[in-house]
Amino acid sequence: MRIITTTCSNCGTIVSGTLLEAERLLKCPGYQCHEIRRFDELSEIDRAYLIERATRIDD
Amino acid sequence: MKGVLLAGGTGSRLRPITHTGPKQLIPIANKPVIEYAIDDFKEASITEIGVILGEQGREAVRDHLGDGSQFGVEITYIVQGKPLGLAHAVGCARDFVDGDDFVVYLGDNILNKPITNFVREFQEGEYVAGVALQHVPNPEQFGVATLDEAGNVIRIVEKPEDPETDLVVIGIYLFSPQVFDAIERVEPSARGEYEITDAFQILIDEGGPVHSHRVEGWWKDTGKPEDILEANRLILDDIRPAIDGTIEEGAEVVGKVDLHETATIEAGAVVRGPVSIAEEVVVGEAAYVGPYTSIGPQTTIRGTHIENSVVIGESTIAARETFVDSLLGRRTKLESKEGYLPDGRRLVVGENSRLRF
Repeated sequence: MRIITTTCSNCGTIVSGTLLEAERLLKCPGYQCHEIRRFDELSEIDRAYLIERATRIDD
Repeated sequence: MKGVLLAGGTGSRLRPITHTGPKQLIPIANKPVIEYAIDDFKEASITEIGVILGEQGREAVRDHLGDGSQFGVEITYIVQGKPLGLAHAVGCARDFVDGDDFVVYLGDNILNKPITNFVREFQEGEYVAGVALQHVPNPEQFGVATLDEAGNVIRIVEKPEDPETDLVVIGIYLFSPQVFDAIERVEPSARGEYEITDAFQILIDEGGPVHSHRVEGWWKDTGKPEDILEANRLILDDIRPAIDGTIEEGAEVVGKVDLHETATIEAGAVVRGPVSIAEEVVVGEAAYVGPYTSIGPQTTIRGTHIENSVVIGESTIAARETFVDSLLGRRTKLESKEGYLPDGRRLVVGENSRLRF
């Protein structure tokens, strides 16, 4: 299992790729942080992996 | 050494209490469960803590812990999202851990003794991982560890039908960064989750060694209401009495009582410790608060007898009844039925509630 995460440049909060894949866009869940976190933060390779994996689980 | 504190999970066994808040914030002796883990980290000189949040209750945990400064630690949040298993949760902490050794602590666990010895033993040895273990009478309900002659772990089996030992894995683990490579090779289990026991087995099969540490004193996983009551009892057994609040003349207070400075025990009330009474609580006339009870903030009790119970807070308890072994959620009202017709009990009870008459 490849675990993909990304870190908020403002507050350091780490968000899993699976969460970003599911929600696509979310307010940073960090403490008192107002950044917007996007699935697009991830590299194209990581996004493709997460989409493929989510599709496989849904099937 | 860093700390990774797991604060996810649905708390399904604690419903309806967890319908409105995460299980890690349920108070034991008027202190949220998760704060006991933070105390243990600090005692072991671990102040950089990654808190792993799940899908539910993450805002409540984050708002309670903040940036950690009020607890004397530095907190980084790690949001796992969907519960894909403990190995996935730990795997999400890779960037936070950043090459250090780290302790993983399940946020709904409470230990009687600090983790300092466990951490020290791990640091003094050449281990890839470590597990805290305890003897239990029902090992088939846990992950069961088998040790070699040197005391290192050679096998961990999750909930075996026929356990090899009675030594079970509790919710405290130690890892070197090697665990992340093992986690990458973990396959989903029969229940569809990435199990941390599988990551341990990979580390063991590749030569380990995996250290074992038997915890001293008691350990409680506070996953069920009866566990909350027992943990409350165990903590209150060791409570330091502190009468900072007001005890009116004519009130009777005996035993170990921790009374907040803004709490009042009025004339005609009886309190027998060990008991913890939080801020702005009033124990009024004809109330009896018996041993092993914690009364949460902004609660008023009049005319009711209560013992071996946890009242989370902001509640009004005025029924002329005796309550024992009870867990009462926030903003509960237990009122007298006197004056109401027809005679009978009147209930507004949430989903998954449990009442015994």
